[in-house]
Amino acid sequence: MYRNLSIRQKQIVWAWAFLAVPVLFYSVIRFYPTGNAILISFQDWNLLGKRTWTGWENYIKLVNDPVFWKVFKNTFVYLILGTPISLVISFVIAYHLDKLRFMHGFLRMLYFLPFMTSAVAMAWVWRWFYQPVPIGLFNNLLASVGIPQIAFLNSTTNALPSVLAPAVWAGLGFQIIIFMAGLRAIPRSYYEAARIDGVSNWTVLWEITIPLLRSTIVFIVVFSSIGFLRIFDHVFNMTTNNPGGPLNATKPLVLMIYESAFTNYDMGYAAAQTVVLFLILLAVSLLQLYLLRDSK
Amino acid sequence: MANLALRKLVQTYDKVTVLHGIDLEIGDGEFVVLVGPSGCGKSTTLRLIAGLEEATSGDIEIGGRVVNHLEPKERDIAMVFQNYAIYPHMTVRRNIGFGLRSSTLSRPEKDARIEEVAKILDMQDLLARKPSQLSGGQRQRVAIGRAMVRDPAVFLFDEPLSNLDAQLRTQMRLEIKKLHQRVGTTIVFVTHDQVEAMTMADRIVIMKDGVIQQVGTPAEVYHAPANTFVATFIGAPSMNMLPAVGTDEGIRLASGQEVALERGPGAGRGVTLGVRPDDLHEGKGVPILGGTVAVREPLGPETLIYVDVDGSEVIAKADGRVPPEVGARVELCARPEDLHVFDATTGEAI
Repeated sequence: MYRNLSIRQKQIVWAWAFLAVPVLFYSVIRFYPTGNAILISFQDWNLLGKRTWTGWENYIKLVNDPVFWKVFKNTFVYLILGTPISLVISFVIAYHLDKLRFMHGFLRMLYFLPFMTSAVAMAWVWRWFYQPVPIGLFNNLLASVGIPQIAFLNSTTNALPSVLAPAVWAGLGFQIIIFMAGLRAIPRSYYEAARIDGVSNWTVLWEITIPLLRSTIVFIVVFSSIGFLRIFDHVFNMTTNNPGGPLNATKPLVLMIYESAFTNYDMGYAAAQTVVLFLILLAVSLLQLYLLRDSK
Repeated sequence: MANLALRKLVQTYDKVTVLHGIDLEIGDGEFVVLVGPSGCGKSTTLRLIAGLEEATSGDIEIGGRVVNHLEPKERDIAMVFQNYAIYPHMTVRRNIGFGLRSSTLSRPEKDARIEEVAKILDMQDLLARKPSQLSGGQRQRVAIGRAMVRDPAVFLFDEPLSNLDAQLRTQMRLEIKKLHQRVGTTIVFVTHDQVEAMTMADRIVIMKDGVIQQVGTPAEVYHAPANTFVATFIGAPSMNMLPAVGTDEGIRLASGQEVALERGPGAGRGVTLGVRPDDLHEGKGVPILGGTVAVREPLGPETLIYVDVDGSEVIAKADGRVPPEVGARVELCARPEDLHVFDATTGEAI
């Protein structure tokens, strides 16, 4: 039977033979749970009992929940601080690393190392850094030069930036590698032509390097925004005694979802939050792609 | 406009010397082409003139001023790159204007200059476009425009035509030559294509392994090559090289054929006889060698014949309409003034 098919039909048969596995995988592991989560968000379910239809009740509860708004704000603070800070730092490092020959590979490895390290281990090391005297590294350093102690993780104002710092640091390695690849792709003659034209380094940076890195920047911004909107492991591990604390000051949306689902066993409420998170991720990504779209 | 001089220019990278003392004087308004196979140091020489690299030793003089330690922008030069180096995110106008970024001209003056250059290059209606909307030849013109707008003393071209297809290359070659005749600026042009060198240059500089082999007008390097390298590099197809020995009257080829020469190399000296395929015909002139036709390549007006002479192959020209048959025996002759004799060991012309 296969013999009698045309070349085009044979190609289709083979294409589907190879596509079957990922299609099956996506259907079972991605699309089915996604659909199910949307369904559960309209139900009441404690994981073991019967599901009961409640309509918009979970969403109404969410809108009226002050913790949700606090968490919603935290999530955006992670995004609004984390994305530009990590973008600028990783660009500055990549820009200079690209010009460096001496120990280039070693330094690149040092920057990439945190990306490969487990977030749990890293969070605990940073947690130790943040402890008060005589344990914490930072406070010991401050004390040795006579500056008063800073309550890093125990203050409602300092805790979020303190949790964000290692998260930014952890992602730098990846972003640096992507930026360096982007920098390498710019032909050297562009810079040589600019040198002959005698323009300043600053002009070269703003008018040649950065515009030509546009697609790299779009990729990194979208990628790291999604990362910061989904931040969880760093927060959870640095505030284990009181996850998301103090007083929900560091709690991101994913941690709230986790607690609703696996501490309070309110699956419907958790599902409603995931749907909201999904919509936020979608909106932010589309907005960024629109703002940074190619002007060509 | 200015003259340009290179004196004992040496360039070394990590103990590898790529330029072995280049000496060259280029007159004001002259069009000089540096030509040679890849790795001969022609691009390095150009980059040293531009100031993109600093010479290990030696002097570079532009307009009577030693520029060794000056930044490229202070040398009053402009360069056109092989890949054009025009910025894909800028319009043609901004690309051309980029050459004026560091100039002290006022805004309207700059605009006037851009318009003027666009007019010379006949691309006023392309100014608002992005490079992606231009053809290869148009991009090339933008690159030239960016160099021209600065009104430099010397233009440097680094293989600017090698990314173009054959037809466009011929066309741009002519355009650059016309441009030179119109603006009269000194031009140093680097290429690996000997046809480009021959057709465009006032003087050709032939380089090999970081050493200048010969400097001369296209006619000089073609008709009086200084050595076997120049002889085989210039002209297509390549000059035939036949081993021979000096005799009392002239030379004797390996085949035993005696060729009388007015100025012989001297009896017993090992030499190489060079004769261009264009100068080697059936019939007229001094008989050089005989052999059987192995392959014919019809070119239209004439036919190239590959003649098998005692196991080695010699290329000659034959009539375009009635070339000898493959397998036919031919006797090839050349005029005495078209014969080139080189020393067999040094390769230098005798």
